[in-house]
Amino acid sequence: MRVSLQWLNEYIDLPTRDPIELRRAFDMLGHAVESIEVLDVDWTSVLIGKVLTVEAHPDADKVRVTTVDVGTDEPYQIICGAWNFDAGAVVPVALPGAVLPGGFEIGSRKIRGVESSGMICSEHELGLGEDAAGILVLDDGAPVGKPFESILELPDVVFELEITNNRPDVMSMVGVARELAAWFDVDFREPDFSLETVPGKPELTVSISAPDGCNRFTAREVRGITLGKSPLWVRERLRKAGVRAISNAVDVTNYVMMELGHPLHAFDLDTIAGGTLDVRWASAGESLETLDGSVRHLTAEDLVIVDTDGPTSMAAIMGGARSEVNDATVNVLMEAAHWNPPTVMYSSRRHDLQSEASKRFERGVDPNLSPRANDRACRLLAEIGGGEIVETQIDIVANAFSPVSVNLAESDVQRLLGDRFDAAMSAALLRRVHLGVTAAGGSLDVTVPTYRPDITRPADLIEEIARLADFDTFGETLPTGPAGGLSSAQGRTRTFLATLRGLGLHQAVNLPFVSAAELAAFSDVVTQVVTVRNPLRDDQSKLRQSLLPGLLRNIRENRNRGAGAVGLFETGRVFYARPWQDDERVPDQPERLAVAVAGPFGVAELGSPARDADGVTALALLTAVARQMGLNLVRNAAQPPGYHPTRTASLELEGAPIGFAGELHPDTAAGFEIDVRVAIAEIELAPIVATRPPIEMVPISTYPHVDFDLSFEIPRSLAGSDLVEATSKASRLLEKVEVFDDFVHPESGERSIAISYRLRASDRTLSRDEIEAERTGFVNAAASLGARLRGES
Amino acid sequence: MSEENTQEPPIDLDAKLDEMLLELRLPDVADLSGELERVANSAELAEFERRHLGPDSAIAGEKRRLGQMANEHRREAGRRINEVSRELQGRISVRRAEIETQEQAGRIAAEGIDVTLDHQRFPVGGLHLIQQVIDEVSDIFIGLGYKVADGPEAELAWYNFDALNTPTDHPGRLESDTMYLDYGRPEDEMLLRAHTSPVQARYMEQHDPPVYIVVPGKCYRNDTVDASHLPVFYQIEGLAVDSNIQFSDLKGTLAEFARQFFGPRTRVRLRPHYFPFTEPSAEMDASCPSCDGKDSTCRLCGGTGWLEMLGCGMVDPNVFAAVGYDPARVTGFAFGAGVERLAMVRYGIDSMRHFIDNDFRFLEQFPG
Repeated sequence: MRVSLQWLNEYIDLPTRDPIELRRAFDMLGHAVESIEVLDVDWTSVLIGKVLTVEAHPDADKVRVTTVDVGTDEPYQIICGAWNFDAGAVVPVALPGAVLPGGFEIGSRKIRGVESSGMICSEHELGLGEDAAGILVLDDGAPVGKPFESILELPDVVFELEITNNRPDVMSMVGVARELAAWFDVDFREPDFSLETVPGKPELTVSISAPDGCNRFTAREVRGITLGKSPLWVRERLRKAGVRAISNAVDVTNYVMMELGHPLHAFDLDTIAGGTLDVRWASAGESLETLDGSVRHLTAEDLVIVDTDGPTSMAAIMGGARSEVNDATVNVLMEAAHWNPPTVMYSSRRHDLQSEASKRFERGVDPNLSPRANDRACRLLAEIGGGEIVETQIDIVANAFSPVSVNLAESDVQRLLGDRFDAAMSAALLRRVHLGVTAAGGSLDVTVPTYRPDITRPADLIEEIARLADFDTFGETLPTGPAGGLSSAQGRTRTFLATLRGLGLHQAVNLPFVSAAELAAFSDVVTQVVTVRNPLRDDQSKLRQSLLPGLLRNIRENRNRGAGAVGLFETGRVFYARPWQDDERVPDQPERLAVAVAGPFGVAELGSPARDADGVTALALLTAVARQMGLNLVRNAAQPPGYHPTRTASLELEGAPIGFAGELHPDTAAGFEIDVRVAIAEIELAPIVATRPPIEMVPISTYPHVDFDLSFEIPRSLAGSDLVEATSKASRLLEKVEVFDDFVHPESGERSIAISYRLRASDRTLSRDEIEAERTGFVNAAASLGARLRGES
Repeated sequence: MSEENTQEPPIDLDAKLDEMLLELRLPDVADLSGELERVANSAELAEFERRHLGPDSAIAGEKRRLGQMANEHRREAGRRINEVSRELQGRISVRRAEIETQEQAGRIAAEGIDVTLDHQRFPVGGLHLIQQVIDEVSDIFIGLGYKVADGPEAELAWYNFDALNTPTDHPGRLESDTMYLDYGRPEDEMLLRAHTSPVQARYMEQHDPPVYIVVPGKCYRNDTVDASHLPVFYQIEGLAVDSNIQFSDLKGTLAEFARQFFGPRTRVRLRPHYFPFTEPSAEMDASCPSCDGKDSTCRLCGGTGWLEMLGCGMVDPNVFAAVGYDPARVTGFAFGAGVERLAMVRYGIDSMRHFIDNDFRFLEQFPG
């Protein structure tokens, strides 16, 4: 909403014109100032003049010689090339020495032998509009000799306000003035609604067949107008309000909408077929050419105004081309109707036709304002367009609205706002915004005018009281709540994220929308898909079931940007549809962790870059994370879709599968346009953070340890971890076990694994025999799996 | 050893033998000292030691001869051999210490590294800036007595709108604003939550007052990506419900938050606004951290001295009624901040796009 301070002067005497003070007033009223535009006078020495004489130039056909009275003793002689005025016209005159917008200086000179001092100006030359065809002819009553800017209400300041959805009443100059009057506690003046009418009844009959869409239809005939350009002051005010001037009949509807907040529509009365108008729901298949020239296809949810030839206007949205006022218009039907807000909202969105009018209707125009808005528009049209106002107003009321009464308990106000808000204070504040207030014991009976749809309950009144009291007058206190803190799982999640960070990974955040192809990248059979009904892009309409597609996109893009190593992780939800019989109505949406690493990753040295990430990297990262979290992940070779089939492990925690770690399948990598190996892993987050494994301290032995290494030849098919586990189980003295080599002979294909064992007892130094027995135990356990000690047969 | 006795004693063969034996061929330690000084390194020192104390040395040879000596001479001879041997060993030790000191100094001098270069590099990771802000804001409120709650992102329209007093015809419900899911039973309209506020309703349904929670999380709106919009963004929501919460508690809480997040001199103001689920509703402005209202040309605040930070208000009684709380017994406040907005203000980030691009050139700038 653009608010001109000069225009506001019509309704209120502001105690200040300081933009900073006014900004604070608007802000603290809840109408945030988005911008402040200072409108200066862009010229010097332009006065209002009256043309005294107009004569032909003795030596030039295209210009005329005028004399103009600008209030000085002698008139100015000015040669003018425009022909749209005669003697008697009141015009803006740039005197010699004047500077016009763009730095254009006016002087005195001779044109074909005749002296010319100054210039009679067009709109264009003054920077007021595009009309350069003729000079700007002012109202006859404009004060001759005064600076031209005095009738333009310049200089001026225009505040652009953000009006919240609940305050349609403030989308008007009158509404803004009422708010400022309440803030500064000064008087507010209503505009003049009085009318001079001619006796008569309307020729037209109006009916409302859709009372669920139209609450009220008010209209009046204005006969015998002269359609034309509006006077400068109307066009100027509209310009400042951000509305383009069109013609006096249309300008009046916009002017009153800006002034009062009630949209109107002007029909050419003589184009209404059959002398009747009805408001009804459109039928599917009906169409209407609107005044912007496009043909609108209507549905049964669109409200239309029809005459006997069918739809002639889309209610509240846009008028029809057929009944639009035009150059030939003489008789006008000025309509001010009240439409059901949701109807307007859905219709304007459906047709992508949002306008100043639809914005106001969908937020809620005062339903009892229609007759007065109609009066005000008819009065202005008669004033600037001539014509006679027919005495009888058409006013069809389908649904009546009365002011709401709300009872407000003093204690309720004090409970929320504090003790200083006794009933007397509340009453005084509410009266400032013209609410009717009667004190009744410990409470107030408040009557709310229909232009305040935001107030229907005590809570609404409390808000109004707090607002008018100025939020800045409230103190700052802290409630005394209970103890706060993170839950165990939240705390472990922090540890988890910190661990991933400590391993050198960066956290990514991706949109959860994926394509069907991305959805299939890590699934054999894509099921339980959740789809967005109104996606941003049709090819990104599915909700992800894996975090990996997003991370792989990040890897591709970062590598294309020249990044060498890219190590990323992401935590976030994936989405699965549930069977319908489930009690839980929302989709299953567990949180996951995914890791993706490409390029040289890990410890690097000068001359020896870090190892290129691959399946090994993913396994190592997940093992490190699990160890930090105090968990033991069991790995088994696995071939999940999208993963490298011989470099990937399934991960189990406490016997339950939680995900996979390994390497991206080369085919999948190609699909993502990635040309290097990528370490990938994805696991469920909940089981990782849910349990804090119990830890009990193992006593530290003071006896010496014994280390020895065993190297086994093992079948290719044997999982190394099985060998470690089997041999470990054979011992009761084992303190630590570690595989330190895994070698496949390049020619024979024989595989050997070297394991280092550390033995220690808690209560004694181990004897030679005990050590030998342990060693034999390890060898026998290995033998049972088909592994034999190297160098023995 | 020379003989001082000039008398001619009778020749005693045994005595003669002992005498011979007593002519021990032991080195003169004083003579060797010069040679020892010229020994330049540990290798030469080892050679010196081998030559004079090793198995082929004179001293070792004399030691071997001791066995052939008569008992009465052996002790004296042994004593003298050991004396010389110990003396020599002592001097070698002193020299060894000198040489080792020199050699250590040489090694240290030679093995210097250019400490200004990274000869070894460990990878350094980082949490996403959004995560950092969420953790920091959560911690501030944990200090004020809050717990952290979360809830589903694919959510029922009832929790996202109806439970939060949003009118049936609110424009926020339109498909142009909110993303809906093709999912579930027809009566369960399902969407991607447009704010974190549905968690308020879910939490209150499951917990009795008092409630003090913050809710960080992803939110979804039907906006295309540009510098100031993302279809997926993060909010952190706060809710305090208790028997005696007043408007000034909201103001004081947010002021404390702003001081901890933006700095101790930060001031806040609440400005009336409109949200369906709070009344009174307000927007919180923080004093401009860049100019503190002292620069009318400040680019951060546009010269107003204030930055719009978050929406807030007192919980609407209809919200309490929807979750089964008695509005006559409890009051409360709620607020919701855009996590990206907080980060953008604090770090001068110029576009929302950075938060989802995952560009390493961005990520590595915020190693938190």
